[in-house]
Amino acid sequence: MLYRNFMGTIALVAMLALAAGEACAFDESKYPDLKGVWHRVGAPRWDQQDRTYERAPLTPEYRAIYEANVRDQEAGRQGTDPTYTCLSPGMPRIMNMYEPMEIVVTPDTTHMLIEHIHDSRRIHTDGRTWPEEVEPSFRGYTIGRWEDSDGDGRYDTLIAETRHMKGPRSFDSTGLPLHADNKTVVKERIYLDKSNPDLLIDEITVIDNALTRPWTVVRKYRRERVAFPIWRESVCAENNNHVAIGSEDYMVSADGMLMPTRKDQPPPDLRYFPQARK
Amino acid sequence: MPVRRLIASLALVAVTTGAQALDDSKYPDWRGQWRRPQGVGIQWDPTKPLGRAQQAPLTPEYQALFEASLADQRAGGQGNDPTFTCIPPGMPRAMTVVFPMDVIILPEATYIIIEYASQVRRIYTDGRDFPAEYEPSFLGYSIGRWIDEDGDGHYDVLEAETRGMKGPRSFDASGLPVHADNATVVKERIYLDKANKDLLHDEITTIDNALTRPWTVMKTYRREKQPIWFEYNCMENNRHVLIGKENYYVNMDGNLMPVKKNQPPPDLKYFNQVQK
Repeated sequence: MLYRNFMGTIALVAMLALAAGEACAFDESKYPDLKGVWHRVGAPRWDQQDRTYERAPLTPEYRAIYEANVRDQEAGRQGTDPTYTCLSPGMPRIMNMYEPMEIVVTPDTTHMLIEHIHDSRRIHTDGRTWPEEVEPSFRGYTIGRWEDSDGDGRYDTLIAETRHMKGPRSFDSTGLPLHADNKTVVKERIYLDKSNPDLLIDEITVIDNALTRPWTVVRKYRRERVAFPIWRESVCAENNNHVAIGSEDYMVSADGMLMPTRKDQPPPDLRYFPQARK
Repeated sequence: MPVRRLIASLALVAVTTGAQALDDSKYPDWRGQWRRPQGVGIQWDPTKPLGRAQQAPLTPEYQALFEASLADQRAGGQGNDPTFTCIPPGMPRAMTVVFPMDVIILPEATYIIIEYASQVRRIYTDGRDFPAEYEPSFLGYSIGRWIDEDGDGHYDVLEAETRGMKGPRSFDASGLPVHADNATVVKERIYLDKANKDLLHDEITTIDNALTRPWTVMKTYRREKQPIWFEYNCMENNRHVLIGKENYYVNMDGNLMPVKKNQPPPDLKYFNQVQK
């Protein structure tokens, strides 16, 4: 009798739980807890182990482009880093994470909200396949799927693939280039460190025609657990003193005057100003 | 042994399901993509034309500033509209939703993601109060609460209050001004249309020292159920250039152009070639 009552209670609890589960569209317990404020670990460089990028697997053509870019930056220009005018860094550079990130997980989409230029990403996990036509964007189009890699009944790894980027993009502010054909494919495995749930790991593999092979780097993000996080707004265009006029990059000085960014840089052509022609 | 396993499994189901599941049936379904309905412009009060016809309840001082803005725009300038350099419109103008918005409801916050100027609003519903100190921002700091207005056990209205904005901001592209003291308070009631669940309403009341009274307008958004999200990067094709206080234009051949008649060119005193 006791045994029957016990079984009955268990069955009732299970039924109630399952009924509640059916009513809920979103069973949060299936997903890893990614709440909090995620900060970048280390500098916003693509490969933090290779200071000069001598080991970056660039093709000879793109190695030459990179070297020319380094010389250009040494002369005061921007080289192949296109973000000085507040252009979005796009993928995969977004994951350098210039500002803290919030991750909002829903069954259909994992949102990575990053307060930088247009860095917020949607990783679609609703089972969709690649659309026939996608308008290219800096951040690209991302499809993901959740995996329960250790079979404990909970998802622990988000596998994502991003395609359909547009340019110009570079890996980081050194101007380390991606191919101008914009055929980049980015594959990611995103998971919490097993021994430290406040460390998020993103294994990022970039497949790009500027590279001789797929290039994998591991990025890490540190969680700040705050009861009531305050997200700081970051507006690149607000205090950007770079001014692009034609193919030249100038600066606006603190006194509001146009300045050269390198020695002997020609001033802008003022042909459309009658006063300047006099 | 099999019975013990069954009990263990059932117990696990009960614990796992009950522990952290979000009861999303308590909240309204606002999933999808929300756009301005066809024919609705980007003026602040969508029921009235842009400009003076908005009949904004401006104080005399701010009416004069608005008139000056309109005159400057007629002459080719930007007037009080600060967004030509790609700074975000901020609140309340963000809710004009120039490009589509995504709304994500979680118990602790409702996220409004607006592609235009990459604006992410967080309306906190975790019971917090306004912090004693916070850094002003264009979007401000929003606290909300869910209301079950018809008592059916489901939330249907999100009430939100936003403070802590910074400037420069305007209500819309005509340069309709908000006060430079940035003491704006925005109150919103956001809810689905009772007869059409694919329409979302936002009753927005702005309390601002540029106004003689609180000003309420109703914004409505239509749901796109199969959304395609596109990226809008304001800086990508922005030809406006601000040098000091002067706004210039870079034309298709890459040369600087005036935006107004007799506008002086930029001072080039820092260029060696000019000094020679």
